[in-house]
Amino acid sequence: MSTQAAKTNAPLVCMSCHERLQGPLVCSHCGKLQASQEADYFALFGLPRKLRIEMAGLEQKFLQLSWKLHPDNFVNATEEERELSLKRSSELNDAYRALKDPIARVEYLLAIEGERKEGEKKQQAPPELLEEVFELNESLDELREAKAAGLELDGMKERLHAAEANFGRKLVEVDTEMQATAKDWDNALDRGADEAARKKIMARLNEHLNRRSYIRNLVVSVAKELAEA
Amino acid sequence: MGRTVGIDLGTTNSLVAYVDAATGQPKCIPGPYGNTLCPSVVSLDSDGSIIIGEPARKRLLTQPERTIYSVKRLMGRGLADVKEEVRLFPFRVDSASDKIIRVQLGGKSFTAPEISSFILRELKNWAEVYLSEPVDRAVITVPAYFDDAQRQATKDAGKLAGFEVLRLVNEPTAAALAYGLHEKKRGLVAVYDLGGGTFDISVLKLISTEEGDIYQVLAANGDTHLGGDDIDNLLQAFVHQQILQSDEIDFSPRGEIAQELRKELIALKHELSEIESATLRLPLPNGKIFQFEFTRGMLDALIRPVVDRTITPTKRALADAQLNAEQMDEVVLVGGTTRTPMIRRTVQEFFGRSPHTELNPDEVVALGAAVQANILERGVSNMLLLDVTPLSLGIETYGGAVGKIIPRNSPIPASAQEMYTTGVDNQTGIDIHVLQGERELAKDCRSLARFSLKVPPAPAGLPRVEVKFLIDANGILQVAARDVRTGESRQIEVRPSYGLNDAEIERMLEESIEYAEQDFAERQVIEARTEAESILMATSKALAGEQASALPAEDRAKIDAVVVALKESVAGNDYRLIRKRIDELNHATINLAEIVMNSAISTALKGKSVGEV
Repeated sequence: MSTQAAKTNAPLVCMSCHERLQGPLVCSHCGKLQASQEADYFALFGLPRKLRIEMAGLEQKFLQLSWKLHPDNFVNATEEERELSLKRSSELNDAYRALKDPIARVEYLLAIEGERKEGEKKQQAPPELLEEVFELNESLDELREAKAAGLELDGMKERLHAAEANFGRKLVEVDTEMQATAKDWDNALDRGADEAARKKIMARLNEHLNRRSYIRNLVVSVAKELAEA
Repeated sequence: MGRTVGIDLGTTNSLVAYVDAATGQPKCIPGPYGNTLCPSVVSLDSDGSIIIGEPARKRLLTQPERTIYSVKRLMGRGLADVKEEVRLFPFRVDSASDKIIRVQLGGKSFTAPEISSFILRELKNWAEVYLSEPVDRAVITVPAYFDDAQRQATKDAGKLAGFEVLRLVNEPTAAALAYGLHEKKRGLVAVYDLGGGTFDISVLKLISTEEGDIYQVLAANGDTHLGGDDIDNLLQAFVHQQILQSDEIDFSPRGEIAQELRKELIALKHELSEIESATLRLPLPNGKIFQFEFTRGMLDALIRPVVDRTITPTKRALADAQLNAEQMDEVVLVGGTTRTPMIRRTVQEFFGRSPHTELNPDEVVALGAAVQANILERGVSNMLLLDVTPLSLGIETYGGAVGKIIPRNSPIPASAQEMYTTGVDNQTGIDIHVLQGERELAKDCRSLARFSLKVPPAPAGLPRVEVKFLIDANGILQVAARDVRTGESRQIEVRPSYGLNDAEIERMLEESIEYAEQDFAERQVIEARTEAESILMATSKALAGEQASALPAEDRAKIDAVVVALKESVAGNDYRLIRKRIDELNHATINLAEIVMNSAISTALKGKSVGEV
């Protein structure tokens, strides 16, 4: 356990050779893994907390860090170093997984900015969708009943397919909105926007995420119901 | 520290390989029968001794109730999982084996990891004899689609065999490593691995970087109960049907005749990979001979369902990698079952390109394991494997649903943190059920472990325990918990729901360890003695012959002295000394050998010692 001041702005030095660190995970001077620094996923990759990430660069950095951190390189090392390598390489992989996926990336950003807490995800229908969701649920019930009674399903299936396509389009819409808001976030960071402005953008991102997750669940459940019918 | 080897612990055959220091190339090690394939068959002799490999395979016919094959299918499984296939096995499974399957051989019962450890120990012996060095560390391969319990069982088997298991490597990944090294291929590679009992499909990206070559697995999928065995079972059922139709006798293949039939059918299957038709001849218990003409077309029709079952996992792996079949730069075939022409054709059609078959499909996995063993042994390397977890890791939530915490095809090591609290006042434990699989309900996923987090009594919702789930580079789960309020952390012992616990492993280890430690030295002494005896005999024979009179007296005196020294060393247990004296005698008898040879045949063998001719 280390209590080193990882969160201050003082230059960080390697635990082993005391050279100044270029990144939080590993010393570029002596190659030793670092135990104490708490880094978020963006910092781990040396990235600002922006939502647009260049994929080729991310992958290249991922591979570069994998060379240094992977447990294969520490088979003959001390128990302590082996543990550290396991911890660091799993963090690297987790970080890569989160940053690679545009949705997981937004979720992660909001989590570290304290704007989205675990279990806080709202599962209510977004108000503007209420009517359509109500209709959809009715159609689903009808389908289930008809199926149980052994009735003809073709007409109902057609309606559900239409609903599926409709919500599929809404999913694309929300993704487009998310992209636009993500751009707003990046721009806000660039111009050094104040906290209030940033919080406003994050609230919008949060709302997009909730809506997206709600619509996605709908699409999945309709697809499942149709596959079973 | 001894040498590190790579082992392919297969359903049908197992192999051991190493990297030759001089050439840098991996090589499979032959056993005492000159074959690199060790049949994964174990038999218990009536005197209690354990017979492994080829001689055990022969006993499948004579002692089927004392002999077990395809034990890999039982690794890390519960009785309910294997009910169907156990019916087809001639050996008996203990019906009382609820937590871990026990197999009855003769009067004794063994777990699957124990039986696998016998095979691993045999391969260890092969390697030690071949390399003349102790071998104590290994990389063992597993099907990419093996779950946590199956992996843990394999690791346990390695430990029981006296190995430090440096890493479990996925079979298709190992194959890609062997191919990458051999063919210097780059780009997107699909590895289609259909073995005796398991099917794996992996999609990899082979990348050259400044530091070296990276083998990055993008996605893996498969079926751990699909392979050549299933083809054999289908063939057996088909032939059984034919016999019933033709002979109208109640013939049910059991015991010896079942094994005889199985052996004939496997031979027939192999034949039909080479030629278009073959005849099966089977003597029946009623004295008649059942004869049936098989064509390749019939075999193809029979195995079509097996081949079709490989397509869905293949499509899923490609979808997870967000790629399609046409984008693959290379397709590699692994596993003996891919020798079947119909399977090759199907793979070729699916990917639209002819698959690689340059390396022996039986050996390629072991060769890759040896490469990885060599990488790990040296610690630094210009090659790096980045693998994934094949199955999603989840936690049971309210109503028996599963909350996914690490999705399938995440690069490993991978981790996830979950926060837990209590639901009622003074609750002292939080039950956690860890699962693996893609289904939404806990009952449809594979149960990995259940454990209870201890919490001090407190009002509901006040305790906060953070649980960290970590899948290590072997694909095996580790769990650690931390009390957020006190900061107190502890490691949680998670043994798979269908596995051995540490105490059981310790006990089994104790039982096997006594001979394990002496094994190597003992074998070396025995071999050195045998060799000494043969050279002593050859020398005394040569000295007794009439040509020996031509030998100068000083040579004679020198030989006599070394003979005495060698005989003395043979009485002791120092195999290095025995070898040294053998070398000395070989050297001292060069002139003698020459004289004997000159008079006997020709001068072609000049310069050789007595021991060598």
